[in-house]
Amino acid sequence: MRDFFHTLRIEWLKLKYYRTFWILLSVIVVCIPAFNYVIYDFTDNSFPKINGKSLLGNPFSFPNVWITVPYNAGILVFMPAILIITLFTNEYSFRTHRQNIIDGWSRSRFIFIKLFEVFILTLFVTGIVVLTCLYFGFLTRKGEPVKAGWEQLRFMVYFFVEMLDYSLIAVIFAMGIRRAGLAMGIFFLYMIVEQFVVSIGRNKYKFAWVDYLPEEVSDRLIPQPFTRKIFSPNDIVIWEKHVSLYFSVTVLYILVFIFLISQRFRKTDL
Amino acid sequence: MPSILSLKNISKTYGRIKALKEVSFDVPEGSVFGILGPNGSGKTTLLGIVMNVLLANRGSYSWFGNPPSEKQRKDIGTLLETPNFYHYLSARHNLEISAAIKNKPFEDIERVLKIVRLYERKDSKFQTFSLGMKQRLAIAACLLGNPSVLVFDEPTNGLDPSGIAEIRQLIIELARDGKTIIMASHLLAEVEKVCTHVAILQQGVLIKSGEVGSALSQEEWLEVGSNEMEKLKGVLKQLPGLKNIINSENHFQVYFNQPLPDSAWLNQHCFEAGIVLNFIRSGKKSLESAFIELTHNVSN
Repeated sequence: MRDFFHTLRIEWLKLKYYRTFWILLSVIVVCIPAFNYVIYDFTDNSFPKINGKSLLGNPFSFPNVWITVPYNAGILVFMPAILIITLFTNEYSFRTHRQNIIDGWSRSRFIFIKLFEVFILTLFVTGIVVLTCLYFGFLTRKGEPVKAGWEQLRFMVYFFVEMLDYSLIAVIFAMGIRRAGLAMGIFFLYMIVEQFVVSIGRNKYKFAWVDYLPEEVSDRLIPQPFTRKIFSPNDIVIWEKHVSLYFSVTVLYILVFIFLISQRFRKTDL
Repeated sequence: MPSILSLKNISKTYGRIKALKEVSFDVPEGSVFGILGPNGSGKTTLLGIVMNVLLANRGSYSWFGNPPSEKQRKDIGTLLETPNFYHYLSARHNLEISAAIKNKPFEDIERVLKIVRLYERKDSKFQTFSLGMKQRLAIAACLLGNPSVLVFDEPTNGLDPSGIAEIRQLIIELARDGKTIIMASHLLAEVEKVCTHVAILQQGVLIKSGEVGSALSQEEWLEVGSNEMEKLKGVLKQLPGLKNIINSENHFQVYFNQPLPDSAWLNQHCFEAGIVLNFIRSGKKSLESAFIELTHNVSN
């Protein structure tokens, strides 16, 4: 355990004075609540109200907020991915991934601590999402008693899993491409291409498997919270039937990605 | 003498290219071991394998008589190819990371920065350093914890002439302290000045290894001249251990099958035979000529 904390401390030494890390992290911390506020403002003021209530319901009040905020934060999941790609490709462009091994780390230790860093970052962002949920939940209660809906905290777990899935895909691109700009470009391209395949596959060819592609399946963990009240109230029932499968498949992807990343680092020339 | 590093039949391929072919040799304790070879001969690949950043296709190696482990690498100071540091960190913070990985005390950082004359720039970011300063910082990282074994790959790369002389002196001093130094280089003059042992690689094949004198035979000769060249030749032919006499413009180049006779003795010997020498000088084949001759013979 002492060894683990020592390794973690070394990783912290790499980040402590890295300005880009702190800037990107601050951007994430600011953007998640700010983006949600923009959506909140839009949903609150841009739709017709019936008896003083928005047509969309109250997506930012308890317990709906537990779905709305992580759904919106899921749109911004590329931001931590940028940070992760930066941290991984730095090691390759500075060739410090080799130096750390030369200096006395095992390959397993290096890749373990890097993946643990991804885990910590995902946990941190999930924490920001929880705080944002609480902020909007209390902001919108307007004197009414709080029904927090703690059982909906499962959406925080779903968000964590979704972000971890995206982050590991980012790691794969970072390790495969090794250059920050190119890895980010290919990562975004992959996001677009997968969405395109899902769109065409689902709507034109009625392929069910497209729902289980690596990013799509994790996106499905958190259903779109805004318009289902108007257009498709049954969607939530269908989603509830499938969510455990989405969750299992996403976790499976995560495990496969961790295995592939570890094996690649351990079994190839650095 | 026990081996610090022992290689057994190491082979490495990159696709169709065979970078190393069944390379085996031992590095004795306390030696300054030069790995020589032209560019692309496999020197860096070999060092990359023994430092676990490259994986051999076949063969094995051991450090200190034991199978390789991360603990051993912590006690070896290594500069492989280029200085690898975090560009956004200062010299001191970079060395803190190296020291922490090696489990060496941070207090040692000041000492090593002073050795490589970077103490005044300890708080400057690595990205602001010149190539020579980067190289010196990498050498400082190698010296953390005062390791008994050092591995240098082209240690004078990027250094100016005074920097090269300083590093050469540092290597000599480290060797004098009893440290084992393994050094890959294609600069023969550098190796000639500091190495006790060499392994010579060419296109991934080990041509020769051993003590510098035996691996790279540097033939010696005497050059003598007189106003009476024919008479001198007759006297020289009588010398014990004579191998060959080559006529030069106004002197003879005399080769022996044994160590060269003392110049003063030869002068006296000729004088007693009635010949006054007007020219006497000893010569030695440069390491470069010996190396070129050896590698040329192998490639032919």
